[in-house]
Amino acid sequence: MSISAINENLLRAIGVGVAVVRASDLSFIFHNEPFAEWFGTPQDGASLTSVLEGLDETELDRVRNEGVKYSVELQIKPKRRTLVFALNISAANSLDEKIMVIECQNITRIRELESMIDSYSTMVERNTRELEREKERVERLLLNLMPRSVYEEFKTFGVVTPQLYENVSVVMLDFVDFTDFAARTDPTITLSELNDIFTAFDRIVEQFGCERIKTIGDAYLAVAGMPDPTPDHATAVAHCATRFLRYLERRNESHPHKWQARIGLGTGAAVGSVVGIQKYVYDVFGPAVNMASRLQVFANPMKIVAPEEMKYALIDEFQVSDLGPEDIKGLGEVSLVNVSSALRASKSKSWT
Amino acid sequence: MSQTIYEKYGGFKTISRIVMTFYEMALDSDQIGGYFEDIDMPRLIDHQTKFISSLVGGPASFSDERIEAVHRHLNISHADFDEMAELFAEALSQHGMSEPDIRTCLAAIEEKRSIIVVRDAA
Repeated sequence: MSISAINENLLRAIGVGVAVVRASDLSFIFHNEPFAEWFGTPQDGASLTSVLEGLDETELDRVRNEGVKYSVELQIKPKRRTLVFALNISAANSLDEKIMVIECQNITRIRELESMIDSYSTMVERNTRELEREKERVERLLLNLMPRSVYEEFKTFGVVTPQLYENVSVVMLDFVDFTDFAARTDPTITLSELNDIFTAFDRIVEQFGCERIKTIGDAYLAVAGMPDPTPDHATAVAHCATRFLRYLERRNESHPHKWQARIGLGTGAAVGSVVGIQKYVYDVFGPAVNMASRLQVFANPMKIVAPEEMKYALIDEFQVSDLGPEDIKGLGEVSLVNVSSALRASKSKSWT
Repeated sequence: MSQTIYEKYGGFKTISRIVMTFYEMALDSDQIGGYFEDIDMPRLIDHQTKFISSLVGGPASFSDERIEAVHRHLNISHADFDEMAELFAEALSQHGMSEPDIRTCLAAIEEKRSIIVVRDAA
């Protein structure tokens, strides 16, 4: 078998459509089976442009005259299907005349798969965005239950190690005659009142870098100095306490329900941790918490009571007056002081 | 959360093959192939990928309103619907899905019959 016969057999056997045309008039010299199967058998004297519609004449001229390669995609639609072909047309020199070689590859399946991947990835991306939003919602919810640093630990390890903080201060607020109020008022009103007030307290607490730990019925508990230690934890809770009372005074001026609160401050050590596994809640325990909750009972309505050991931390920014020693359950005899906001606003300004 | 059929058979890896098989079958079918005559190939593939993924519990969901809106003007008959379900079942079985799982998928399609088939169809 001669080399040219082998070549011709090869061209017939491969899965790529091949045709050879004369460069002069684009008439067919040769085509193989796949080519005929896709585009039909060229009639005698048929030209390339009549068999393959949609070819660019100027591009064909450039192939003919300049020898550049012309690549193009063609679509045909036999029986409902769209078939896509990648065509390469290049010039070649045969023995006696210029010819053009046309190679056609069936890239339908590739295009179909590309479309499917596009479609699928759009769905997946949309789902991913939804999951992302869901995750943010969960995170926001958990951040309401515990401080961020605790949440990070919880997320990473699945548990939170109880941690002791040596120097923290606590503010505990309780409403006067709340039980009476709750008994004679519609529960939904009670709840919306509390919600309103506690929301305001949350803002105050945030403003002074404290953490609201929890509300127990009508009691409100916030801490400073944990989980991030701060040297001015005592003044931070005192600022919160005075702002709480000022907020209530202002609110009472324009609301039918007049709220009176007692506030106790405490200082010392406390442990913070997540309690529970399924229904977890971040909580704090320790002397500082006990102290605040005991002292709160000793406060007159709309007053703030603190232990004497906080006196020197607060004396520069607040009015502090001695109340004398009291015997307090679980703590023994403790000297108490009353804390109120500085007499003149200008005075506190001079310290900044 | 229980495993969906989609996860059970290897997710998109298998679904993509089912989609291609079903696509070929639907185009070849003389009963329903005509509906796909003038649709762009990318759109048709997109449609079938979503359609099959949603039926097996993959990441796609169509609202019933949307399904109804795209089928309303097509005048689809019960015979068309049956043919589609049959081809779909065949495509699933060709890719190794078990009988009970195929029944689950067919039940999922059956739920949509009333909104796909034209209302006064025989």
